[in-house]
Amino acid sequence: MKTRYKKVMRDLLSGYAKNAMLVIAMAMGVFGVGAILGGYSVVKREMTANYMGTVPASATLEMEDSLKQGLIDSVRQWPGVSQAERHATVLARMRIDDKWFPLLLFVVDDFEHQRTNIARHVSGEQTPPTGTLLVERTAFVVMHAQEGDSLLVKTRHGEAKALKIVGTVHDAGLAPAWQEQAGYGYITLSTLRALGEDGGFDQLRILVSEHADSRDHIETKAKEIAIALNARHHGVHEIQIPPPGKHPHQSQMSAVMTIFVMFSFLVLVLASILVGTAVATIMVKHVRQIGVMKTLGANSRQIAVMYLTMVFALCLVALVIAIPLSRVAAAAFYDQIAVLLNLEIRDASIPVWVVAVQVFSGIGIPLLSAAVPVLRGSFISVRKALDNHGVGHRPQQQLSWTMKMLSSWKFAGDMFPLAMRNVFRQRSRLAMTLGLLAAGGAMFMMALNVSEAWEANLSRIYQQRLYDVEFRLNRLHPTDTLLAKLKSIPGVTHVEGWNSAAVAFSKGNKGVEVTRTYPDKGHGSFSMQALPVSTQLLRPDITAGRWLREGQANEVVLNQLATPMLSSVALGDTVSLTVNQHTTAWTVVGFVEDVGTPATAYVSIEAFAKAEDTAGKSNVLRVAYADRSKESTVKNNRLVEALLEKENIGVDATIPVWLLRNAIAGHMKVLVNSLMAMALLMAVVGTLGLMSTMSMNVLERTREIGVMRTLGATPRKIRSLVVWEGVSIGVMSIFLAFALSLLLSAYIGSFIGHMAFRTPLSLQISIVGVVAWVAMVMAGAYVATLYPSKRANTITTREALAYE
Amino acid sequence: MEHTNEKFLIRLSGVTKTFPVASGIFHALNNMTLDIPRGQLMAITGKSGSGKSTLLNIISGIDKPTHGSVVVDGVRIDTLSESELASWRGINIGVVFQFFQLLPTLTIAENVMLPMDFCNRYPAKERRPRALALLQHVGIGDQADKLPSALSGGQQQRAAIARALANDPPVLMADEPTGNLDSQTSTAIFELFAGLARLGKTVIIVTHERDFASYFENTMAMADGKMVTELSHA
Ligand SMILES: Nc1ncnc2c1ncn2[C@@H]1O[C@H](COP(=O)(O)OP(=O)(O)OP(=O)(O)O)[C@@H](O)[C@H]1O
Ligand SMILES: [Mg+2]
Repeated sequence: MKTRYKKVMRDLLSGYAKNAMLVIAMAMGVFGVGAILGGYSVVKREMTANYMGTVPASATLEMEDSLKQGLIDSVRQWPGVSQAERHATVLARMRIDDKWFPLLLFVVDDFEHQRTNIARHVSGEQTPPTGTLLVERTAFVVMHAQEGDSLLVKTRHGEAKALKIVGTVHDAGLAPAWQEQAGYGYITLSTLRALGEDGGFDQLRILVSEHADSRDHIETKAKEIAIALNARHHGVHEIQIPPPGKHPHQSQMSAVMTIFVMFSFLVLVLASILVGTAVATIMVKHVRQIGVMKTLGANSRQIAVMYLTMVFALCLVALVIAIPLSRVAAAAFYDQIAVLLNLEIRDASIPVWVVAVQVFSGIGIPLLSAAVPVLRGSFISVRKALDNHGVGHRPQQQLSWTMKMLSSWKFAGDMFPLAMRNVFRQRSRLAMTLGLLAAGGAMFMMALNVSEAWEANLSRIYQQRLYDVEFRLNRLHPTDTLLAKLKSIPGVTHVEGWNSAAVAFSKGNKGVEVTRTYPDKGHGSFSMQALPVSTQLLRPDITAGRWLREGQANEVVLNQLATPMLSSVALGDTVSLTVNQHTTAWTVVGFVEDVGTPATAYVSIEAFAKAEDTAGKSNVLRVAYADRSKESTVKNNRLVEALLEKENIGVDATIPVWLLRNAIAGHMKVLVNSLMAMALLMAVVGTLGLMSTMSMNVLERTREIGVMRTLGATPRKIRSLVVWEGVSIGVMSIFLAFALSLLLSAYIGSFIGHMAFRTPLSLQISIVGVVAWVAMVMAGAYVATLYPSKRANTITTREALAYE
Repeated sequence: MEHTNEKFLIRLSGVTKTFPVASGIFHALNNMTLDIPRGQLMAITGKSGSGKSTLLNIISGIDKPTHGSVVVDGVRIDTLSESELASWRGINIGVVFQFFQLLPTLTIAENVMLPMDFCNRYPAKERRPRALALLQHVGIGDQADKLPSALSGGQQQRAAIARALANDPPVLMADEPTGNLDSQTSTAIFELFAGLARLGKTVIIVTHERDFASYFENTMAMADGKMVTELSHA
């Protein structure tokens, strides 16, 4: 090895404690980048592979009546159509531990030859015999059941019947059942009949053979077919075209991941700034050595290369440590996300470009950050280098007013003013340390703030919904006497009868409405809720305009998910809404936010009754209880259900508000947790920054401390000097971090909120976060000063004075 | 770089070095013209602030003159660029510092090898044997693999002299090389320099020590940036 590189290596090893800190900081950055990018790249690839693997139908045509096989065969011959399949989706209920839960039943025409939205066979029977069902693998948790168990199932028209679970499937196009708090079952038509339903396959799924990714093309094809079917007296009342080729959670996933990727790079950038500052210190410390080497014949370029090599070596060590660890973390990360998205990771290989990005950014960013001090230090003239006496920046001539003021604070003993002066001696380093700590603290507090805001928003679900349970009835029922009877049940405080119907914005295409609904009927669905205007059970936040007024005027209020379904809509606009093939014009009078509700158009029940001829009838009952706890709700539900049964009123689904809350919470919890993990990385890098600053500050002043010792300063005094210095930097950073965290929380909160609810999260300040961060910084500052102050005290006076 | 056989190795003509100071312009060197012959052990003396170090810096290219020209071994150095100067200096001037300035993380032998590395002189394989030979020559061959901190001041200065000789430069210069050493050790160091001059090196030493006047073939006294005693060009 060349002698000069020997010097580089020895210099590196001689300051190993400090260098180890730099390596750890950089390793964290590289680790974060690798874990996030690695996890994300696998999830993204597998998400598409899984979803496309199910052969998602380009469009689903909802029919008025059931489809014959012959018709399917002729649709299959349609030009531009490569596949056609008939299907039915039935919303039923299943009984688990004495409670009824929603159960989506998918009626499959031919299990052996599924053509679209394929539920992949995992275990057990391929085709469930009559009286049995297959279950989606994520639904077992919800059902508290396993293969071989029986499940009590009740459809709208039939009696409750026990179905045996005979097999397991994986349906990658569905969100995990536990997230939706619903069951997913797969049955044959004969099982549906056995459950007491006489309907048949009323869905026609088609696959276009060309331009499969063009929504417009799919729409054109689907409409052609719909018109042809209508002509043959097969009514099509809705065309569902989910975003082509896109997993239901794809855009949310990309958005969250973008934030994570940004944060992980931020950790690396901050670590690199730490490296840059450390290198700047080394360059100042080595200035005389640089002068000597230049006198011996070294040119500036050779010197620069030496010091950049030093940084490079540190980067390499960081990479060697971080890359393998990041791959382990990436695996854990994609496993978690896979569970969240109901993905089956078939190819777990992390793409090579992830490592390439780690290597390039893990070397490039620190080198870039170190380049300025290295070049400045290397291109210094020999003369200046030899003249420079170590620490030397321009000595301060006068104390600034801040210093004077700080110096007058005597409360902390006589070391405090001196400590404060030391804090401000290296301004750029101070700025860097403050920046690091502030960024770390800001992200840490932001993560806790956002997580608290998330919880708060979830509790808005309770504040906006003053009812505790929604009963979806099997059909319209007269409500005049029913409501009074329900109200008389002890524990029930209020009951309202509403009307709910699937709705679509009409674009004037002859009765056939095109929606973006996915086959699970939740993602992308749009419903009209007709309710008493003076409802006591719903308090959505009005964001513009006003709430509905009494009367039969065709007024509509749109919620935050309904609004974006139209390209533009403003107060006072008239929108055409189609319900049951019947289009009516409505005037938009307000916009509201209601957390956790799918796209909804709210109208007055009188106006709805006039338009749809449903006066005095409801298909939804919303009931409020005096005690809103889950336990009490479950108990009360039974009383209500008993009464409904006595009145001969069929219930399709019972949806308690707590269930809804859990379903929404399940969607995002992992992401909030990942945010916390990133914040922790930042916090550690910030604390490392404080540590390294402190050790640099002390190291640099070894001589000065030696002099102070000779002049009689006790080790205690020296120690309190160093501790005060660290603590005051910590305190300053806390204020900065707090201010910054508010900005960040608002931004990230609005981002996550929009993704989850289409409304920003409210700004919350997590007291726990603030206290935890203050404690962490204080403990960090204390620990960070332990070693330097010990060192300051253990070196002998002679050593200190000889130190250069 | 071509070596000429001129009698004078170093020629300064009309060299002035000024520094801007608060009260105007300060003349550290004032229109100095000076020819230094080859192979001499030469002393520069003078009061503090008389310009001795400045003169050495000008000759070694560490500083550039404000006016005038500097020619060393036939090369006009005041017009070279910083990087040209660096390698020129590494090959032509061996500098010995008052505080030794050995690099603390390299062994003695590695310190000696470092200039060869920077200037890319001698094949890599020959560098260590050459360093050991030089250390032998200055009398500390047995210390080669120790770190500088393990050596006494005198030994460190010997190592620094060996390092100055690494690229076999024609000129050796030392600014108060014994300022930090006791008189016995100083004697040994001056003897070493005298021996090197006898081997043909031009050795220029700034010193305050009058006891060693007898070692020098030539002594130049300076005051206020000017020569006050002419050199004897015998
Ligand atoms: N960079 C500079 N800026 C301003 N003045 C300078 C600078 N370098 C040297 N001087 C001045 O030039 C004069 C000569 O300095 P020089 O270092 O050559 O003196 P010296 O003879 O070596 O003194 P000493 O014996 O103390 O080392 C001094 O008065 C010094 O203050
Ligand atoms: Mg001097």
